[in-house]
Amino acid sequence: MKKRMFCLVLALIVLLSITGAVFAEGKTIVYWSMWSASEPQAIVISEAVKSYEAASGNKVDLQFKGRTGIREGLQPALDAGTVIDLFDEDIDRVNVTWGDYLMDLEDLAKASDYEKTAIPGLIAACREAGGGRLKSIPYQPNIFEVFYNQDIFKEAGIDTVPTTWEEFLADSEKIKAAGYIPFTTDDAYVLTNFGYHLARYIGQDGVLDVVNNGKWAETPEVLKAAQDYETLYKNGYLSPTFGIAAWPTNQNGEFALGDAAMYLNGSWLPNEVKGITGPDFLWGCFAYPTVPGGKDGLEAANYGAQVFAINKNSKVAEEAFEIIKTITKGEFDKKLSVESVGIPADTTNTEWPAMLASVKEVMAKLTTRYQWSAGIENNPNMTPIIKENFQKLCTGKETAQEFVDALEAASK
Amino acid sequence: MKRNKTMIVVFLAPALIIFCAIFIYPILRTIVMSLFKVENVTSNPDQWIFVGIENYKTLIHTSLFQIALWNLARIWLIGGIVVLSLALLFAVILNSGIRFKKFYRAVIYMPNIISAVALATMWLQFVYNPKFGLLTTTFKSLGLDHLASINWTDSDHKFWALLFAYCFGMVGYHMLIFSSGIEKIPQELFEASTIDGASKTQQFKSITFPLLRSVIKTNITMWSITSVAFFVWSQLFSMVTADTQTITPMVYMYLQVFGAGNVISERNAGLGAAVGVLMGLCVVIVFFLTNRVIKEDDLEY
Repeated sequence: MKKRMFCLVLALIVLLSITGAVFAEGKTIVYWSMWSASEPQAIVISEAVKSYEAASGNKVDLQFKGRTGIREGLQPALDAGTVIDLFDEDIDRVNVTWGDYLMDLEDLAKASDYEKTAIPGLIAACREAGGGRLKSIPYQPNIFEVFYNQDIFKEAGIDTVPTTWEEFLADSEKIKAAGYIPFTTDDAYVLTNFGYHLARYIGQDGVLDVVNNGKWAETPEVLKAAQDYETLYKNGYLSPTFGIAAWPTNQNGEFALGDAAMYLNGSWLPNEVKGITGPDFLWGCFAYPTVPGGKDGLEAANYGAQVFAINKNSKVAEEAFEIIKTITKGEFDKKLSVESVGIPADTTNTEWPAMLASVKEVMAKLTTRYQWSAGIENNPNMTPIIKENFQKLCTGKETAQEFVDALEAASK
Repeated sequence: MKRNKTMIVVFLAPALIIFCAIFIYPILRTIVMSLFKVENVTSNPDQWIFVGIENYKTLIHTSLFQIALWNLARIWLIGGIVVLSLALLFAVILNSGIRFKKFYRAVIYMPNIISAVALATMWLQFVYNPKFGLLTTTFKSLGLDHLASINWTDSDHKFWALLFAYCFGMVGYHMLIFSSGIEKIPQELFEASTIDGASKTQQFKSITFPLLRSVIKTNITMWSITSVAFFVWSQLFSMVTADTQTITPMVYMYLQVFGAGNVISERNAGLGAAVGVLMGLCVVIVFFLTNRVIKEDDLEY
């Protein structure tokens, strides 16, 4: 009898489960995110997703893959037919590397008048990266420029930020005289300095030509750019461990602890070191200075965003786009900005985190978009060799001419 | 015993199928893939472009790959000599009847149970830190200013800094293998030789070392396999962008298959597969050379 009752109850449970699954309301949207679950961005995204679920009755299968996880795993998973409706990563990786998997979002964006409150420059960047069509939606905008410690500038008697290389040298002298290290960086970012500097002379296309075609000796501006950094070293404007310290040694040490004044980095820097700098650190940001007779000015920089994209085979595209809107508009965009010390993507969120106040003005003037490091890292077969020689240049182990000769030889 | 062929097939088939699917198929696919230009590792074969041995030619003529091979050779040879010598030394000492054997063994093995990420962070941010690092402060307190001023992560020292940190963690693993080999040698042999007046050095030379030949071969093969797969430490010592002092063939393969750092670069899984084939060949060659050089004795435990 007991056995019979047990079987009956079991059968009832199974039946109810099946019925529940069949008649369950709502759809399921699978979202692979580039963040790691403990990051502030991930925490806010989780909240936004929960809010979407409560409002829509749909279920979101949210999976935080981390940067490496999504970079290595997304494309094989899509090729294997795994259901992934929504994913996010860097603007270029999504649009270029995974371009074949993206749904055209023009109609969805138009239907909800999405662009009305989006940053036009970033939407334009997404269209450009997507081959003229909007295939991704930007969030967490970022720019890559020179960040500085306002207190050190003040103490050194610098009232206005440098806009030309000449002013940069003069300000570096003042900072050095005040007892601080003018300019620092770590190994992970060292090449961005040379990329920006060379791009100021010959533009990004010129940099790409040099890097991809090995025109180190044939391009006189390469030597000029190298000589400029040689001067920085000789004048004592560079940290003794400029570019050779393992990231984040100098970022967290020399810069965040207030020994060094300037660091060329992304607008994510304040968030990364806020635990070290504390709330009293006065952040400043200025555009990488222009060089005499250079092609590019202050309007050119590497700027972009993380972007959302929807799988072209998704059967829940509208729902996925609703999730994008929940995260990138209004309350959660603001929260994302506050919690991650990031730039808001929604133009109605006019209040930026105080640490990024000076970034706003710099960003507003940008019209030319560089790719990462202005293209100097575009040839992976050369990047480590350029890096080694630039590190030597910046620590006095190589002259500008030796730097050029070494790269010319290595590229042949 | 009567053989039932059907039963043999039934019992062997699952293992054979799994072995073919997990080992043979990927090996064959990698070899074939190395002869093609393949954009993504999961691209359909109809998208592969046949290039013959072009990938291998490209690799041989790429100076960065040559640098990666040179780094690997140094890691394998120098690191191998240091790690296996220390591992053997510690294993012999631990099995010589010293007190607190288990404690010392646990201490030496401990780096193996700590994540490589945590270990590399400790080495980079604490030991090698140019301002307040362990080496800098120690040398300063000893008055060795020249040594204290060395930047251990610059291009002149980074390879050695990496190798030292890696070897530190690997000694314990190989020590355990040696240790288990020594423990198998009958104690009577050592007792008899002690009675005959043999010193510890003589015992090592005439008993321990000859009877450990197969274990030494195992250790060399294991070291070769882990060296060829040298990747995590290299990545941790050069975040975002690879550098000449830490790049290894496996890192180069990763750059080709998944792209480089923050840059969107051209990918070629075929080139990555060619790296894999070459590395596989290296291990096979080392294995055969080891077998040829170190002859196994009839006597082993």
